[in-house]
Amino acid sequence: MIEAVLTGAVAGGTSIVFAGLGELTCERAGVINLGTEGSMLCGALAAYVVGINTGSPWLGVLAGIAAGALLASVHAVMVLHRHANQIAVGLVVTFLGTGLTSLFGQDYVGKGVQPLESWAIPGLSKLPFLGTVLFDHDPLTYLSFVAVPLVAWGLWRTRAGLILRSAGEGPEVLEIYGTSARKVRWIALLVGGGLAGLGGAQLSTAATLNWSEGMTVGRGFVAVALVIFAGWHPLKLAGGAYLFSGAIALQLQLQARGWEISRYLLESLPYVTVLVVLALLSNRRIHGGPAALEKVFEG
Amino acid sequence: MTAVDAPGAPDAPDDLEPDAGGQLPTPPPIGPVDPTTATLLDEPGSLAAFAAFRHNRIVRVAVRWVVLVGATIAIFCAFLLAKGAQPDEVLRSMWETSLGSPDSVGETFIRATPILLAALAAAVPARGGLFNLGGEGQLLLGAVGAFVAANALDGGASSAVTLVCMAIGGAVFGAAWAAIPAVLKVYTRTNEAISSLLLNYIAGIIITWLCFERWKDPISLGQAYSRELTGGERFPIIWGNRVHLGIFVGVIAGLVLWVILRWSTWGFKLKVLGGNPSAARRAGLAVTGLSIAAMMVGGAMAGLGGMVEVAGTEGRLRPELLAGYGFIGFLASWLARHDPLRIIGAAVLLGAIAVGGSGLKITAGLSGGAVNILMALVLFAVLGWGRTSESEGS
Amino acid sequence: MSRTIRALAIVLGLTMLVAGCGSSSGDSASSSASSDGKFTVGFIYVGPKDDFGYNQAAYEASVAMEKAVPGVKVLQAENVPETAESEATMQNMIDKGAKVIFATSYGHYEFAKNMAEKNPGVTFVHQGGLKGDTKLDNLGTYFGTVYEPVYLAGIAAGSVTKSDKLGYVYAFPIPQTLANINAFTLGAQSVKPGIKVITIATGSWCDPSVQSQSVKTLLDQDVDVITQHQDCTKTIIEATEAAGAYSIGYHADASSLAPKGWVTGSEWNWTPLYTDIVKTVKDGTFKGSKYDGDFRVGLQTGDNPFVQSKYGSMVTDDTKALIEKAKKSFEDGGSPFAGPVEDQDGKVIYAKGKQPTYAEVETMKFFVKGVVGKIG
Repeated sequence: MIEAVLTGAVAGGTSIVFAGLGELTCERAGVINLGTEGSMLCGALAAYVVGINTGSPWLGVLAGIAAGALLASVHAVMVLHRHANQIAVGLVVTFLGTGLTSLFGQDYVGKGVQPLESWAIPGLSKLPFLGTVLFDHDPLTYLSFVAVPLVAWGLWRTRAGLILRSAGEGPEVLEIYGTSARKVRWIALLVGGGLAGLGGAQLSTAATLNWSEGMTVGRGFVAVALVIFAGWHPLKLAGGAYLFSGAIALQLQLQARGWEISRYLLESLPYVTVLVVLALLSNRRIHGGPAALEKVFEG
Repeated sequence: MTAVDAPGAPDAPDDLEPDAGGQLPTPPPIGPVDPTTATLLDEPGSLAAFAAFRHNRIVRVAVRWVVLVGATIAIFCAFLLAKGAQPDEVLRSMWETSLGSPDSVGETFIRATPILLAALAAAVPARGGLFNLGGEGQLLLGAVGAFVAANALDGGASSAVTLVCMAIGGAVFGAAWAAIPAVLKVYTRTNEAISSLLLNYIAGIIITWLCFERWKDPISLGQAYSRELTGGERFPIIWGNRVHLGIFVGVIAGLVLWVILRWSTWGFKLKVLGGNPSAARRAGLAVTGLSIAAMMVGGAMAGLGGMVEVAGTEGRLRPELLAGYGFIGFLASWLARHDPLRIIGAAVLLGAIAVGGSGLKITAGLSGGAVNILMALVLFAVLGWGRTSESEGS
Repeated sequence: MSRTIRALAIVLGLTMLVAGCGSSSGDSASSSASSDGKFTVGFIYVGPKDDFGYNQAAYEASVAMEKAVPGVKVLQAENVPETAESEATMQNMIDKGAKVIFATSYGHYEFAKNMAEKNPGVTFVHQGGLKGDTKLDNLGTYFGTVYEPVYLAGIAAGSVTKSDKLGYVYAFPIPQTLANINAFTLGAQSVKPGIKVITIATGSWCDPSVQSQSVKTLLDQDVDVITQHQDCTKTIIEATEAAGAYSIGYHADASSLAPKGWVTGSEWNWTPLYTDIVKTVKDGTFKGSKYDGDFRVGLQTGDNPFVQSKYGSMVTDDTKALIEKAKKSFEDGGSPFAGPVEDQDGKVIYAKGKQPTYAEVETMKFFVKGVVGKIG
């Protein structure tokens, strides 16, 4: 059962990992983006539509990234140029994404898409335990394995990462060195939105092969919660995403095994888990967050 | 630079009303300033100059709004055209459904009420610099609280007493649900925006459980909902088939809060807290208690909203009750910049758009969710361009 | 403060202007809707009309009905929530001239009833609910005996399974679902008494991600036949097919999604019933007709709107004969729930020789023996 839960955690967690990495990138640059949910939806639909019309799921994935980034650019304009409140605008961006995908997705509900097939890695997938948990998934899940350390490395080991984090910690300093914090944040938002779109694309073209209105069911918001939960660190973020989807996998397993536990308790498990861990860790986390971000919350 | 580092950029000269009696001191702006503190920064000028200025501004503001509204509608129409729909047909049917007849205006008020109360739930904490994204869950818990009170009375009191008890029940439950993120914020520094957001999902599951199990109506013939509130447990219908007395609850709550926030010491303390928490702390304000109280007052408002919905519009607890209204309310609060009076208008506007969605479905055959686009565009217009250009810094 | 009010006034004024222009240009269209003598029928659906499921089936039948009955115009509304908001949508349709309203989702019942009370001139028919003792002359409910074809599909599932474990993914424990799960289990057990049906509740009518994980979870338990009661069915069928397991469809013929593993299923065919109901109302004979009450049509009474889908190639002639035999017994007045039926704890619910009434089936709240899962 542990193996099954972990496998389910990885399979179900991929889209949240991508969305969370996107959010983390934005927040490291000092912008919180509640539009992540909307970017995921746009990514899911765009990937689905382009996948159907071109027959290529990979083109679909690219379209998903583009759509996620495009929606995030609305957030960028509102926040970076119009100086509107980030939390409020983020929610509005999600409304926009929900509305747009509802309008344009109508004709694609239930249509067939060319799937991004699972691919068991030869050799590795035969490993006991780890083989099924880690090495028998769709290509985007493998990409997420690479993306997590890559983002961590990028943020802390590259000059670009240093600049990005500076935009989140002390934009004034950045300006002194002649770099526009606004430009950096624009890039972070585009990358972040693109990653969220990629997460959505994984959901529609690899995990479920389906489009239905509102199919992300709040996973984008969960991703935002997980970034704070993870203390703005990619590896911990991935852990959080797998914890959340693992809780879903666990409750399904318990149901299938006929455990005499209320299904309502089981359903609330993923949210309660994240909330409790968030509360337990927050005291220590508060100063791990980008300084500019705290200003968003503290007015 | 202010462009980049101050998300809630100051919009000081924006609010043109002379300050109430001018008795509020104007503190020097310390650090980033939230829009909620705008009135603190009002600069009372000489009356004559002010009148001239104002006249001039009305023209400019009007032009600005015509452009904004035009752009909003134009962009919405562009999306509709892209989908292959007829914009004139869509707009007309939205208009007919939401404001085109007395019945539809009534419907708009029915929908606006939970939005208004959910907006107040966001506004009060926002005054104190807190983000309450949990309106959705607080609305639901308020509905539960109303039922707890109604069940406890079991028809043993007059209608007025029953409704008052239900309202108290709703407010208490809503406040208690909002207290969770508040307490977590104060004692563990958990981000209240995120925790209140997560609590929405848990509230939804609680409602589902109540409808399917605990409170399932024994004579529901299989339907998943609670018993029906009847007789004295319901707001009387005041007009037509559906418009009930409860629609005034939101308006009254808005007025009361407006008075409290504007003229009470508590309202002033909250404003100071929202403006600069560390200054508030230095000034000896009980920040902990104030924060928790602000969230709880907000939660109580949303709880009232849930109560009005079950005691007025719905009559029962249902799994789908009020889905989405908490978020729309949050946006209404921002649309109105957390001013309870403006919120009344904002709630009616968003309520009308929400109601227009059902016209969209029938006539144009479009997905009703498409009205979210229009809501978003309105919000963008107001959040991004609703302020005057002089106040925007760079 | 005052500025926002002014702004709102301008917003409203402008909207009015646009709407005014719109209506003047569109007047011919709107007047034609009410004055061209067409008999208007409204349909409301809880979900999208292209969901490969329940709503699509109802939608397609409404379109077919529009073609079949001359002089009829159909109004459609998707995604109508099961709250009082649906009353507003129905009112809207009435304002647009609707004389009959089909409320097609289970949870729309009460609102259809309310509207029927307030609008005596309009006929409301509800899909799935029970009218009970309501005396209204302009309200009726209708449904098929859905559990009959589900029982038959259960026989097919019981015949093809090798592990003797079947999987059932459902959303919420509504009576229709519980009756289906029980009928499916009893059907399968009529072939092999030891069969277990493992159930998973997703807590949502359509959450594809949880659906796909549910399939994996069931496969982990050695399940080799999967069926479902969800509004969107595509993800589950495709995931089942990809894993090489068998699919039993629900709502619609989705055999194209599972060319290898499609066994059979149950699907809706509402057109004849819709057509007949609309004709009855149009002729002014609804009051006192069979539709003015709780109309339940099953194999015994004739055209069940819920029919068995086509068979996959793995279904043997012997199995088909078994199914035909069971079908014959239902046509002769039998029931999938003919006693003895025991619940999960072995308590006898329907004694030997007894069978439940429609009303009992439609308020069912237990799992039969052999079902793995908990209702609450």
